[in-house]
Amino acid sequence: MRNEHHPHQFTPPMFGVRLLRAICNDELSDAVLGDLTELYQHRRSRMNKHRADVLFYLNVLQFVQPFAIKKRKSSYHINQQAMLNNYFKVGIRNMNRHKMYSAITIGGFALGLATCLLIFLYITDELSYDKHYAQGDRIFRLYNNYNTSDGGSWMAMPPSVASILREEFPDVEKAARLIPYKWFSAGSNLMRRDDVTENTFEEGFAYADPDLLDVLEIPMVYGNHQQALDKAHTIVISRRMSEKYFGNTDPTGKTLILNDDKDKGAYTIGGVMENFPTHSHLQYDFFLTLTGVEFWQGEQTSWCCWNYDHYVRLRPGVNVADLEKKLLSIRDKYQVAYLNETGDAGAADVKLHHFYKLQKISDVHLNPEKIGDQFSHGDIRYLWLFGGVATFILALACINFINLSTARSANRAKEVGLRKAVGSGRAMVMRQFLAESLMYSYVSFAIAVIICVLAMPYFNSLAGKSLVLPWTTIWFVPGILAAAFVIGILAGLYPSFYLSAFQPVQVLRGTLSRGSKSSTLRGAMVVFQFSTSIILIIGTLVISRQIDFIMNTKIGFEKDQVLMIQGANTLGDQHKSFKAELKKLANVDHVTISSYLPVAGTNRDQNGTWLDGRSKIDKAVGAQHWYVDEDYMETMGMKLLEGRNFIQDMASDSSSVIINQSMAKALGLKKPVGEKIMTWKTFNIIGVVEDFHYENMKGPIRPLFFSKGSGGLIVCVKGKGNQMQSMITSAQSVWDKFMPNQPFRYTFMSDSFAIMYDDVKRTGSIFFTFAALAIIVACLGLFALSAFMIEQRTKEIAVRLVLGASGNSILRLLGQNFVRLIAVSFIIAVPIGWYLINIWLQDYEYKIPLTWDVFVMSGALALSVAVITISFQTIKAARSNPANGLRTE
Amino acid sequence: MKGTYLGEFEELVLLTVGILMEDAYGLSVLTELEKQTDRSIMISSVHKTLVRLEEKGFLKSHMGGATSVRGGRDKRLYQLTRAGIKALNQSRELRSEMWKQVPSIIWEGGK
Repeated sequence: MRNEHHPHQFTPPMFGVRLLRAICNDELSDAVLGDLTELYQHRRSRMNKHRADVLFYLNVLQFVQPFAIKKRKSSYHINQQAMLNNYFKVGIRNMNRHKMYSAITIGGFALGLATCLLIFLYITDELSYDKHYAQGDRIFRLYNNYNTSDGGSWMAMPPSVASILREEFPDVEKAARLIPYKWFSAGSNLMRRDDVTENTFEEGFAYADPDLLDVLEIPMVYGNHQQALDKAHTIVISRRMSEKYFGNTDPTGKTLILNDDKDKGAYTIGGVMENFPTHSHLQYDFFLTLTGVEFWQGEQTSWCCWNYDHYVRLRPGVNVADLEKKLLSIRDKYQVAYLNETGDAGAADVKLHHFYKLQKISDVHLNPEKIGDQFSHGDIRYLWLFGGVATFILALACINFINLSTARSANRAKEVGLRKAVGSGRAMVMRQFLAESLMYSYVSFAIAVIICVLAMPYFNSLAGKSLVLPWTTIWFVPGILAAAFVIGILAGLYPSFYLSAFQPVQVLRGTLSRGSKSSTLRGAMVVFQFSTSIILIIGTLVISRQIDFIMNTKIGFEKDQVLMIQGANTLGDQHKSFKAELKKLANVDHVTISSYLPVAGTNRDQNGTWLDGRSKIDKAVGAQHWYVDEDYMETMGMKLLEGRNFIQDMASDSSSVIINQSMAKALGLKKPVGEKIMTWKTFNIIGVVEDFHYENMKGPIRPLFFSKGSGGLIVCVKGKGNQMQSMITSAQSVWDKFMPNQPFRYTFMSDSFAIMYDDVKRTGSIFFTFAALAIIVACLGLFALSAFMIEQRTKEIAVRLVLGASGNSILRLLGQNFVRLIAVSFIIAVPIGWYLINIWLQDYEYKIPLTWDVFVMSGALALSVAVITISFQTIKAARSNPANGLRTE
Repeated sequence: MKGTYLGEFEELVLLTVGILMEDAYGLSVLTELEKQTDRSIMISSVHKTLVRLEEKGFLKSHMGGATSVRGGRDKRLYQLTRAGIKALNQSRELRSEMWKQVPSIIWEGGK
């Protein structure tokens, strides 16, 4: 063999060699490479380098074949099993050795995951409303849309729309009406079986057409859809009410008496329906039939009054947009005709701006069309917001994990070096760190689920939900395990890449700089965490201030120490004497009876009004018409700005009104007293009341007028001083004297007022919780990071201390780096926070100004929390005995 | 059955390993085959066949015989196994048996 003695060797192209190594499995590659090299030598002796190279590459490429690529598994399999065991063993040892780091990593992870899990449940819950109908894609509700700037969307329509839909629109398979709010017997009533005398207060009454049961696919326990409500004075009750009043017997055909009125209040039970599922926007226990109902003479055919909601089921394959266009014929044929007939000036406007539209029933809960109705709705923006925040908190937790793993890399470098030296490839080291990260992830998930279970009651009260962990759902457990896997891999990816890249020679020689390599990246991550935290703090501060503002701002009436006694309508003619009796009580200041109060859950009556004689000239001013008595304003603590109050027994006051400031403004009146306004009748303005808030503060105070009435649903009692408790007892004894068979039900006006702002408070406390969580997670990370950094610099600190550095200078040295990071976070967070919170505030007509101190406070808070966090470790380091630091090694 | 069937190229490779005795490895098999058959063969197909024959149990291998021409790398040296020899024998017997059955007129007429 000539070549063996030849000193000169040709080496094949390096890239080709690497390529072959990459392609070929280890079994084969050495032998093949040997062969190819030998072949290359032969070729070089015959041809030039270029050709030989090309042929070499071609040879290499020939090995892109299954037999060469395929890994031979024979003994490898068992080996991997053993290695996996080893990974976990090493992982557990590491966990034990660095208890603090592990606890922080796992704890932070678990917190983040628990938050995510709760938010996920919350979001799925919000999205699951009204999804249970078999023909849900064909069930719609019909709504009005007035597309001007001060217009909007609302539900109520005139009573005859349903029959028009049935007769003139073949696309509509079924149409049914519903009266969902307090009106006549809808809302709440006193009720009893006709064979007992005790009345019980029941809520959840609504008027419904017989077809509504069919349209809404309500399952029937007794009776059927066709006949349950088809006769006049029939009622359908829910299963739970049937059980409450009739036990387990079939109550069909029995009679219920409403409001103790044997005459008009007698209803025959036509059937029993299943309870409404919790995820339905409708929640009723009683449907009173609309069959044969006419609330007043000619009501059913008139276009004067809009009080009925309409639900429809379309025929399959109907195009909704086309149908909405066809529906405009209702407007042109009936609505405009009615307006022209009555000479209303609004007809032209209506023709331009009024539309009839359809909303899919599954959209009702989140209500993207923003239809005004009396149901409580979710808000898709909050879902996005919460989802976003949860993702951020999870990101913070992942970042902690990445940060701590890379920071501790120095401690693991020797291990990696040794592993590689004994023959582990990079892929194996990566696999090791991924396995470790998976282990952390699974432990964290287990803890997160425990946290979820424990925190569930708190979260439910926070979010106003009744969520439970869906253990029984098929996807839940596999979903959790899969999520743990994905998150474990994602969080472990960077550390595993980073750690597995160590060169064994460098590491074992000890030249690798200790863990400082990626300090920029770690810095960036700290900045990200604290920016997020500061933004959340800004949000929390502003929201809590806005809530404070709402709760304590001048609302135009006195909500404190007012008792609201419900059910006053049942007093009948006795209401005057009842009121007089109450007034006699020593601890009572004022008493008034009305159905209309400036808090949630009381009556509203919207009317079109004009200055007298101008109804055919001007556009109507929409205004609330409230019936109140002469004691109303005093009891409510409202302020009369001009004119006089109503006077008891003054006959002419039946056509007097007191208007609020914004109504005077809307009518363009400089001196309102003495002017006349008209709605369905003409009124004299006798006074002006100062504006008071009667809706939540999201909108402006709208026009409103009082006219004199007596009686109503609610008796309001204003107590003297701090004697509420004794007042309640004495008021109850008076009530029991008048109404021995009826329950005494009362609420505090301040509570009813607070209900209006529940959602604001809820947002506030949810935000507060999130901000707190984010800061905890960020601080955990910072704590561990600072501890680590100090550990790395133990010797440096010791040397400095020996050479005479003061404790303070050590503190400064160690702290300044972190403080700089917080400063950068602050600069990033302020504009983002400012932008986001401005969007939120735009919802409110009455809002706090956004001042600079909010930002300064949030920055200062974040900084102080960070400083406290790191000072634990830094102070310990600065006060340590330098001898201990130097003695090591 | 995959295990016992011997393809034409496989048979040739097996025979070549027999011919080369102690020095049968990828490249030497290739060179020998090209010389014997006078056709151009890809080195990857030689390796592929060797791997497959080893999987079938007709060959066994060990590493050894590194030379500097190979960049100091070992060769994978192949040897016939008992099963390999048996397979070759069977194949030859089958052929000669079939040869015998072809009427001699064919051979004479073929000239």
